[in-house]
Amino acid sequence: MSPPCNIRISGGLVLLAAWFVLANGWEPLATVLGAAAVHELGHWAVLRALGAEVTGFRLNVLGAVLETDSRRLSYGGELAAVLAGPAGNLLAALVLTALGKGRWPAAVGANLVLCAFNLLPVRPLDGGRALYLLASWTAGPAAGETAVRWAGGVTAAALAALIAWVMLRTGGSLWLLPTLLASVYWGALPWRSGGCL
Amino acid sequence: MTSRQAGRRLMTARRQSVGSVRGGARRRQGESLTAKDLRRLLQLVACGSVFVALVAAKLLLPAKMATFNEKLSAAMERNMDVQAVFSAVGRAFSGEEGGVGAVYQAVFHPQEEAVQTSAVSQPEEPSEGMTTRKTPRLQDGAALETLRSYRENSASPTEKAPAEALQSASNLAYVLYSQENLPQGVSMEQALLGFDYCAPVAGTLSSDFGYREHPTEGEERFHYGVDLAADAGTEVRCFADGTVTAVGDSSSYGRYCVVAHEGGYSTLYAHCSRITASSGAAVKRGEKIAEVGETGMATGPHLHFELQREGTYLNPIYYVSSL
Repeated sequence: MSPPCNIRISGGLVLLAAWFVLANGWEPLATVLGAAAVHELGHWAVLRALGAEVTGFRLNVLGAVLETDSRRLSYGGELAAVLAGPAGNLLAALVLTALGKGRWPAAVGANLVLCAFNLLPVRPLDGGRALYLLASWTAGPAAGETAVRWAGGVTAAALAALIAWVMLRTGGSLWLLPTLLASVYWGALPWRSGGCL
Repeated sequence: MTSRQAGRRLMTARRQSVGSVRGGARRRQGESLTAKDLRRLLQLVACGSVFVALVAAKLLLPAKMATFNEKLSAAMERNMDVQAVFSAVGRAFSGEEGGVGAVYQAVFHPQEEAVQTSAVSQPEEPSEGMTTRKTPRLQDGAALETLRSYRENSASPTEKAPAEALQSASNLAYVLYSQENLPQGVSMEQALLGFDYCAPVAGTLSSDFGYREHPTEGEERFHYGVDLAADAGTEVRCFADGTVTAVGDSSSYGRYCVVAHEGGYSTLYAHCSRITASSGAAVKRGEKIAEVGETGMATGPHLHFELQREGTYLNPIYYVSSL
């Protein structure tokens, strides 16, 4: 039914990008989009190398998601595909540092921030998925579910607390508030959906 | 199925759906609530109580809400310079200057960093990222704060300013005129400065100190300084001996600097094309500190010049009209 490559971009993302350009200029947007492209390219390259079909690509306010038929992938293969995104960013940062010798600090930084952020062990992010796969691989899916639930909850709570503390210390910059809400939401997400399992 | 039957089916289906919408709320109370309904109800109750609380607070405590509003808008204007943060991370990664400290600085102290950066790289054009920084928390931010609080209180003029002015009248040479509804922290009197000074720019006065129709926003606003129109690039000379206390960039002032003088006086030079003095530098009267431009909220090249004594805005016209 679905076309070989369906791409869906949410209106929210376009609005977010518009706001971002308004507030920060087009250069940071280009930097962020570049880093995101490297990230997705990392996933895509490994998925293709493993022979998995990428069925779709979704872009929304929370980030980009590659839809793939991963059922035939081994734990190791899927883990590699999941980690390929952050690895791509790290590689890009290293290459840019080596080639540019400090000429493109913003691009290096964007790649590193994206890499680190995606490695947080919270579920919709690569880190959470990787933790789930690793724990499931070694101790079974139930253990994987438990591990990612606790790690995600604790990380999200710690992140939310850290952001709240920073907001209080700096006199409350409101741009941190969406980040705080997102981390609380992500922390609560696996617990809520857990009721349906 | 005949078309008639289909039509009847359609009708019943519609009736059912209408019925469920109308009787939904009543029926749900009788039956046990599903998890989804409960969640929706809780969301509505939570949002509704926030709404009711805010409306009540606005009606019962208008003054407190005004200050809260002020704080909120100040917090909303504070923005992070994403490019600067990425650059700091990138530099820390390649083992250059600053490291984690620079990242922290970039994320949480954009204003102080803005001042430092422009002080270091003063001969060049300040980086584009800096233009996104808003609400300087330094001394000169008082102008924006006052403007903001004035906007809140514009319906009921404050009594404070004239009272304060009367108290400090002993220090003043003579009272030229007073205005009933001055915003807070403004004095219309001519003070004896007690030091030598000179006009920062030999230009024509394009906008006076006091109430005026705002050139870009259109409404009546208080203008806290004088505008001296001059060609872009004209040198801006320092008003009197002093120390540069701030060099920055803001959405309304554009590129600006603040110089502190003796006796608690300070002067601000805004909308400059570039600032040639660096923050912390000692400057002499008549020394070039900037160049005229139209950065920030400006409709043409001019110098916006402000004079303050211990946080009170004075009319600079008495000291610049000599030229």
